[in-house]
Formats: sequence, C-alpha cells, structure tokens
Amino acid sequence: MIPPVLSSLIQVFIFPGFIFILSYAMFCEWVSRKFVARLQNRVGPLYTGWEGILQPLADSIKLLAKEDITPKAADKFVFALMPVAVFALPLTAIFLIPIQSLTNLWGYSPIVSFEGDLIIVLFLLSVIILSIFLAGWSSANRFGIIGATRAALQMLAYEIPLGIAMIGPAIFARSLSIGKIVEWQAQSMHNFLSAPNLMAIPVALLLAVGFIICTVCLLAELELRPFDSPEAETEIVHGWQVEYSGKKLGLLRLGHDVKLVLASALLTSLFLGGPIGPWPIPPVVWFLLKTAVCVLILSNASALFARLRIDQMLGGSWRYLAPLSILYIMAVQIIAGLM
Amino acid sequence: MDIVTWARTRSPWLIHFNAGACNACDIEVVAAITPRFDLERFGALLKGSPRHADVMVVTGSVSRQVRERLKRIYEQMPEPKFVVAVGACAISGGVFQQCYNVMEGVDKVIPVDAYIPGCSPKPEAILDGVVKLLKSAGY
Repeated sequence: MIPPVLSSLIQVFIFPGFIFILSYAMFCEWVSRKFVARLQNRVGPLYTGWEGILQPLADSIKLLAKEDITPKAADKFVFALMPVAVFALPLTAIFLIPIQSLTNLWGYSPIVSFEGDLIIVLFLLSVIILSIFLAGWSSANRFGIIGATRAALQMLAYEIPLGIAMIGPAIFARSLSIGKIVEWQAQSMHNFLSAPNLMAIPVALLLAVGFIICTVCLLAELELRPFDSPEAETEIVHGWQVEYSGKKLGLLRLGHDVKLVLASALLTSLFLGGPIGPWPIPPVVWFLLKTAVCVLILSNASALFARLRIDQMLGGSWRYLAPLSILYIMAVQIIAGLM
Repeated sequence: MDIVTWARTRSPWLIHFNAGACNACDIEVVAAITPRFDLERFGALLKGSPRHADVMVVTGSVSRQVRERLKRIYEQMPEPKFVVAVGACAISGGVFQQCYNVMEGVDKVIPVDAYIPGCSPKPEAILDGVVKLLKSAGY
C-alpha cells in the first residue's frame, strides 16, 4: 500500500496529473495536426518519430532552447508572468475532472473534488481570458493590443452561453460537482438499461443540444478556426502572441494544447459520461477515447470553417447562442421538474 | 546528436520576406507549403511574426529602400536563426545586377545560410534547399 502523501504526490505530478496531462496534450496536438492535414489532402508531420508523433515535443524543446526576447516597451513583469498563467490555469482546471483513481483500477475520482467545482472550472476559464488579455496588452505591440481586445471581446461573449449550457447537466444531476454529474450519468444510463422509460428521450435530446452549444462556445474559447480573429495571421500577424518568443511562446503553445484537453475533458465529463464505459476497460482508457473523439470534433470544425468577421462572431453569440442557451436551460428546468 | 539540435532541425518555422521580388519566387515559396508539396512533413510551419520564426526565406533583389526593413526584421528574430535566399535576384541581384538601387543579393545585408538558385526556383528546389539547410544544421 502506498502512503497517502506519496499517493497524492504521484496523483498531482505523474498520473493522472502533470506528466500524463502534458503528454496527452502533446498527443492531442499531433492528432489534431494530422487530422487537419488529412482533411486538406496533406500528410502533416511525418519524419519526427513515428508518423511525426514527436512533432509537438520537438516544437516545445526548440522553443525552450531559443532566445527569449522582451520588448523594451513591454510591461516586463506581466509579460513574463502571463504565459505561466495561461499554461497553469487550464492544468489546474483539469485536476478537478475525474479521470482514474490510483488505488482502484475500476474507480475514477478527480484529484480534487468538492461540491461546486463546476463553478471553479468556469471561474478558471474566465481567469484564462483575463490572462490572455493581459498577455497581449503587456506586450505593448499594436497588433498584440488589437488581438488582446478581440480575444477578450470574443471570449467574454461566448463565456455566457458556455456557462449556461454547462449548468444544464448540473440541474439534471442536482449537483454542482463534476464527479456527481458523471455519477448521475452512469446511474441514469444504468436505470434506462434495466427499465427503459420514455422520460429518457427528452433528457438525451436536451443533453445533445447542450453538447452542441458547448462545442461552439469552446471553439471560441480555444480560438479555433471560425473564431480565430484574435490571432488572425493575415490581418494582425499573430494577435496577442505576436511579441512572444522562445520559452514564453513555448508555454503559450503548451497552454493552448492543455486548454484543448480541458475543453474535450469538460465535454466528455458533462455530456458523454466521463470516464465510464462498459466493464472490462479501465476508466482512463474510456476517458482518453472520449476526449480524443471531442478533439477530432473540434479540429474537424476548425478545418471546415473560414474565419468569421468580428460583428458576425459577436452577433452569433448574442443573437443566437445566448437566447438558445436560455431556452435550453428553461427546457432543462421543466423536464427536470417533471422527473 | 544532442536533443536541442534534434528539436531545432525538426521544427523549422518559416517567415517569408519579400525584398522587392517580382512575386514569381513568392508564388513558388507559397506553392511549397500547399498540399501538393507539404512542407509540414518536415515540421515546418509558415509564421507571420518574426519573433516566432527560425528560418527567414528571402526573395527578391534587395533594394536600397527595403534594406533597413530587412535588417530590422532579421534583428527581431530570436537566436538561433537561419536565412535562405530564394531565386537568382536574392543571390546576386539577377537581372537587376548593377542597377543603382539594388544591393545585389541578400548576403550584402544579412548573413545567408542557404542559396536556392533559379528564376524562379521550383517548389521541389525550395524543399531540397530547406532540407539541405537542415542537414547542414545536423538533421
């Protein structure tokens, strides 16, 4: 038996914490790059490791070894701090999501869990927006500032439907803890399989609507293609990342990968049943499979669409997504009351 | 081979600089990153910001007007950095040799690591040049 201190250290740093999440984030970047390349009739990274699987690792090591330039006009402290925040905050949020328990092969539990951790995840997502804004603002570059303003505008607009849609499963589960929501999904699936009733159909349909709203909002949070005006290369060079080089850029890229994992992990645990699946396969495998499917959905959307204009992006949120999510939450309330 | 060289040669990010080219070389450079040739196989990505880039791909006979800009963009790139001169103009001034307003080649302004001849070079030639540059850097 491992002593509890050692066990929690292993949980935070090795599995399912730091090292596991980082390697999975790099793997997800590779999957997404390969997938987008195949959709565009290319092959993508090919010569770095097997089929280019080490490409994100090579990118990160190269960036860590490069010269680190701080512009003279930049706010040096904030400029140096924000890449760390952009990297650390999504990693912290992943600690709240159930993946696999260390002691029990068939058990799953988040590293940290308490009533209301869904709110903490939403809060961390908002702090990520703030740190992205400060990252662009502190670089004192005109493209950086425009990119930062666009990023803040876009993410705050999509934060609201995202938050509302994420509360939907919480109302059904009557709990604000992600672990309890996952348990509710397992329990109701079990109930449905043992005694099918018609009430499950509207619940499943509503969860599907919530999944779609969440996917669209997470695309905006991740600045993927239809919503990539904050880093539009053709107009504002690289948006808020423009002045970052060397290890700070490496941290920003890793932070983006971790955010991709966080987004798919949130979709997985709120709508797809988290790390639960049919018995002989351990939860971590189910978690990896389901998040990989979510990564493919997100990168498919980003390969499929062209960039939206700013007014289209904002209108899409306030005119369509926000009312849709309010209708959705009303329907969820009614159905949950009938149950 | 140490791990830094391994990483450096497997992830060359490009920035494209037009120093007064007639656009023929630029079209070929852009063609080299299209699906048919796909420079991303070698881990190369086209970047917009010089701060993110490792390899500067320069086309065109460097005019006196663009000289200072070329120098400034080069200085904005973080070390270690490489420069590839694409096309006859970028190597020696090409048909603009001995004109009063050209510098007759990129290497008169910034150090160049690889020359890719041609007017304009084919995308295959550009790929070959980039791979040769990576090999000389220890691929």
